[in-house]
Amino acid sequence: MENLSPEHIVTIVTIIVAGAAIVIGTMIPTWVEGQSAVKAIEGMARQPDASPQLRTAMLIALALLETASIYVLLVVLVLLFANPLVTRFFGG
Amino acid sequence: MEVIEHPIVFTLFGFIPVRDTVVYTWITMAGIIALVLILKLIKPNLLEYLLEMIISILDDAMDVDDLHPYIPLLGSLMIFTLVSNSVSVIPRMKSPTSDINTTIALALIVVLSVHVYGILKKGAWKYLKDFASPIFMFPLEIIGQFSRTLSLSIRLFGNIVSGDLIVAIVFSIIPYFLPIAMTAITLISGLLQAFVLTTLAALFISSAVEINEEDAKMKAEGKKRSLKDFFIKKFRKETANGES
Repeated sequence: MENLSPEHIVTIVTIIVAGAAIVIGTMIPTWVEGQSAVKAIEGMARQPDASPQLRTAMLIALALLETASIYVLLVVLVLLFANPLVTRFFGG
Repeated sequence: MEVIEHPIVFTLFGFIPVRDTVVYTWITMAGIIALVLILKLIKPNLLEYLLEMIISILDDAMDVDDLHPYIPLLGSLMIFTLVSNSVSVIPRMKSPTSDINTTIALALIVVLSVHVYGILKKGAWKYLKDFASPIFMFPLEIIGQFSRTLSLSIRLFGNIVSGDLIVAIVFSIIPYFLPIAMTAITLISGLLQAFVLTTLAALFISSAVEINEEDAKMKAEGKKRSLKDFFIKKFRKETANGES
């Protein structure tokens, strides 16, 4: 462990942070999306006449909630493939 | 990664660098035009059915009297996004929407056309007045325009890029049979994203265009009634004072 260079430390920390971020950042939006989908399907089962409007509203809400996890994915992709910290502090 | 990088293919007129996204966009556009022309010759009924489907989706999303001015923009937005999301199933093709420049351009088109339609429908001064109806909300609305652009573009870009990336990673690990399932998921996700982008654009346009007649009527009546009440009260007070 003593002969690790700062670039290696930054890389290791980046990998750990990316893994943790993708786990938490997909877990929580998926949970919330499941809740909203359950509510919408309950409404559809209770009132089948209103199911087209409910389906449209549910799809829009799911896409808006999905955006949060997409942001997490983008940050993780930037950290993994184009890490700005390494090039900024250690000159690439 | 090959999926994320977009190299410069050639330079137009010596000073305009053209990346491969633009070339794939041209190929996609040519494909859409060729498909529509062939369908028009062979099966016109199918084209009509597709148009009816798009119009019914827009009709569900929008709450306006006349749908006709919005069909060209929103319909072509939906067709282009749908085809360019799913064009990456063809080998050696990349989705034009997997570059963030394309999606930012699409989101800017949507966000600017919202204002254009609003001004065309209501007139510039009334649209501005409705846009900042309590005046202290005006800065928040301006911030909302930028965040709307950002979220529209990043949603589409992130979904398409993550789908393509997952297919590429799975293909590099297990090249047989499993990428088919991932490609199917990517196709469904692309369809859903095209639907969501069009529906959100329709919602934005319909919220900018709608004239809230009932609200305006109630406001005018309320103002009149309160004025009348005020005068009646004043009159009664004065008569009461005069009598005493």
